[in-house]
Amino acid sequence: MTSASTPAASASWRARFAGGAALRLESLVVLAVLCAAMALLSNVFLSVSNILNILLATSVFGVLAIGMTFVISSAGIDLSVGSILALSGVVGAMLTSNLGLPWWIGVLGCLAMGAFTGALNGFLITEGAIPPFIVTLGMLGVARGFALVLSNGVSIYGLPAAIVWLGQGRPFGVPVPVIILLLTALVAHVLLAHTRFGVYTQVVGDNEGAARAMGVRVERMKVLIYTLSGLLSGLAGLLFAARINSGEPTAGLNYELTAITAAILGGTNLFGGRGSVAGTLIGALIMGVLQNGLNLMAVRPFYQQIAIGAVLILAVWLDRINSREGWRR
Amino acid sequence: MSLLELNDVRKTFGAIEALRGVTFSVDAGSAVALVGDNGAGKSTLMKTITGVHHPDGGEIRFDGVSIVGRDPGEIREAGIEMIYQDLALARMRDVASNIFLGRELTRSVLGVKLIDTSRMRSEAEAMIERLGARIPSVTQMTGQLSGGQQQSVAIARALTFNPKLVIMDEPTAALAVREVEHVLDLIRTLKRDGISVILISHRLTDVFSVCDRIVVLRQGQVIADDATRSTSMNAVVAHIVGAHSEQAS
Amino acid sequence: MLKRLTLGAAIAALALGLAAPAAIGADKPVYGVLMKTLSNPFWGAMEKGVDVGAKNAGVDIFLDAVESDQAAEPQLNACNTMLQKKPAAMITAAINSTILLPCLKQANEMKIPVVDLDNNLDPAITKKAGVDVAFHIGSDNEAAGGKAADYLVSVLGKGAKGPVLVIEGLSGNITGEKRAHGFAAELKKEAPGLDIVASLPGDWDSLKAANITNDTLQRTPNLVAIFCANDDMALGSVEAARSAGKDKLIVIGVDGNTNAVKSIKAGRLNASVAQLPYLVGMQAVEGVKKLLAGDKVAEMTYVPTLVLTKQVLEANKDPLLQYVK
Repeated sequence: MTSASTPAASASWRARFAGGAALRLESLVVLAVLCAAMALLSNVFLSVSNILNILLATSVFGVLAIGMTFVISSAGIDLSVGSILALSGVVGAMLTSNLGLPWWIGVLGCLAMGAFTGALNGFLITEGAIPPFIVTLGMLGVARGFALVLSNGVSIYGLPAAIVWLGQGRPFGVPVPVIILLLTALVAHVLLAHTRFGVYTQVVGDNEGAARAMGVRVERMKVLIYTLSGLLSGLAGLLFAARINSGEPTAGLNYELTAITAAILGGTNLFGGRGSVAGTLIGALIMGVLQNGLNLMAVRPFYQQIAIGAVLILAVWLDRINSREGWRR
Repeated sequence: MSLLELNDVRKTFGAIEALRGVTFSVDAGSAVALVGDNGAGKSTLMKTITGVHHPDGGEIRFDGVSIVGRDPGEIREAGIEMIYQDLALARMRDVASNIFLGRELTRSVLGVKLIDTSRMRSEAEAMIERLGARIPSVTQMTGQLSGGQQQSVAIARALTFNPKLVIMDEPTAALAVREVEHVLDLIRTLKRDGISVILISHRLTDVFSVCDRIVVLRQGQVIADDATRSTSMNAVVAHIVGAHSEQAS
Repeated sequence: MLKRLTLGAAIAALALGLAAPAAIGADKPVYGVLMKTLSNPFWGAMEKGVDVGAKNAGVDIFLDAVESDQAAEPQLNACNTMLQKKPAAMITAAINSTILLPCLKQANEMKIPVVDLDNNLDPAITKKAGVDVAFHIGSDNEAAGGKAADYLVSVLGKGAKGPVLVIEGLSGNITGEKRAHGFAAELKKEAPGLDIVASLPGDWDSLKAANITNDTLQRTPNLVAIFCANDDMALGSVEAARSAGKDKLIVIGVDGNTNAVKSIKAGRLNASVAQLPYLVGMQAVEGVKKLLAGDKVAEMTYVPTLVLTKQVLEANKDPLLQYVK
């Protein structure tokens, strides 16, 4: 075979890091610079309690973003995660608060509701051959609607102490949602980067035809991926309800966009094929730090939205000029 | 008994009859060419053999066993590999990942099966070496390699698990002259090692150079099946374009 | 690599270039004010009142809001972040009675007094949750609803008969519930012939209220009046009513915000029960100043309301009008 042609040769040192790692480095740089800037602008930013505060605020949508990483890596999208979050929270609250069942049934109920809805998404996408955008867009409405119907539009207040601890407990000063976020990230990272499930998730997004031809059970993978996304939405719903001690049908509004933003900021390719849980975590932290810092500086919420949107566009543009391959469809 | 036997294989997509009863066979250690015009059904036939499509009728036997209805993973296990025209590579993954795509090596950690990246890398390197392909590193992202290098990866993948039959779909179409010779040498080596080859190609010089039999497909049916030495390039071309009047059934 | 670092720095700088660094003076005490959203002029007026109250009291205000009045977790996060700055007091307009409780509990632990701005916290719920609210200040929403009913009766007469539509606020929000309830109770008492045929949640949204109005007019074309629990919804509703040709339909809102005033002066909206958010904001800050100085402050303070009609606005004699912003 002939030797490498010009573009490959000049890019070999960068290619050795296989694209993915280099992107995470950029996100890390953005996060570090952002933190440094916030620290300069507000003297309470770097306090331990504020850092824990940032991590706590990031935990709910961080869990969503981790699920979203798998979905986007497979060249799919899940717009229903915010609604599934709300539905799961409402179901958990109803089981414990209205029906008086023990706390662990509430927890299982949340997770099961999330997983079930996710599996439903997966089946509609594979059996119905309907694009993920449309299925999950529909589910966004259906799940939210069910949450409102089940709860009659009002929040269901008062959850068992064990569940409240999941949202408000602070063992050794660390909020429980933060611990859950980090544990979820750890498991998800191993799953995505080191197991066949994770590899196939990314290959399905990279080249679905190739995956199928090489023996990957593509339909089964998609159902599992969306079920996983739903399960994590259920977990996020549990954390949300635990944080505010009530099942809130309006929970998680627009959280899907935040989750997608965090994943993209972290280096996951929007068109699929490559994803990183560590990157998503950094992306989520970038958004959390931005939100917190802007809050500390009393910036109007409207400007906050502009800032967050601008950071996304700039970070992605940064990715664009660094990897030629990354955005090829 | 031949290694691969196709008998009256049929496949319909909606209103279109892509395969209308295809019958031919491939002996062990031989190279059979499958030629035909665009739309003759070559790709569909190969995808039916590899399990991407399931035939609507007919029989396919490999090594004496029916493989109809099996999925692509099982067919690879049985010993049939294919090098697709578009190479079917995951371009955002490295060379080693692609070589082991679908058959990753794993090791058990705390009861969980994790991908054994280091073992995959070393075995991939060995395979690349054996092929004589010029790929500087197996950790390179496949999409950043040249066309020829990417094909080497696809070939390496097809050969790594000791297949009995390798199907190649237009392997020389986009290659330079020297690279074409490499592919033809590879086919000769495979034959010598007892591995069968089905070569889909429109380059009849290549076909006549390495293949033992030439099967012509036209409108979903086999209209000619001759040993290479008993036919000529003109005859084959004539079959492809349908100069001999045959009644389509 | 260097290129990436510079660009990374550029991103961060740009993001912050959009932010206004607020240097807070260390000498004056700072009160934290957490509002729902600033997009409704009602809250804009309250913010002005808070600013003026702060100036009069010689204190600084640290104000924050969230993007919509349904952004529950963001408000909780904003509340926690506000506590990081250790304000002298926390004045909050909670999205609903339960959202901010964990944060307010922490404020209690930090000995920071909590003030319920505009009666968004149900005292029954806060007491049950063990959260200590220093005082509640706001309009008497129940009485406001009642005043709207009184106005309607004054126009149509006690013996009037006909169907009436009520468009409520966000489901589960105590403010909306009280206003709707106050209206219904007073109407039943004063003019039993006026029958409320539907009471639907409009979620404080003007488009939603417009749609509800249209749908109800389909079923009940002889509607005589519509009461909306806030001005945004009333403005949406009146547009729908007028474009359906119902010029005699009486539409009443609550808030007395700038847009409603304009609409009343232009003769479209009939009336609005002005809640004087400006006054609420101002008195909330003054109340906190008194509290921190050691004086007693009433646990529940009701700020008066005023029914705004075209006549009242044109006569311009009422002293409370100065607080309508």
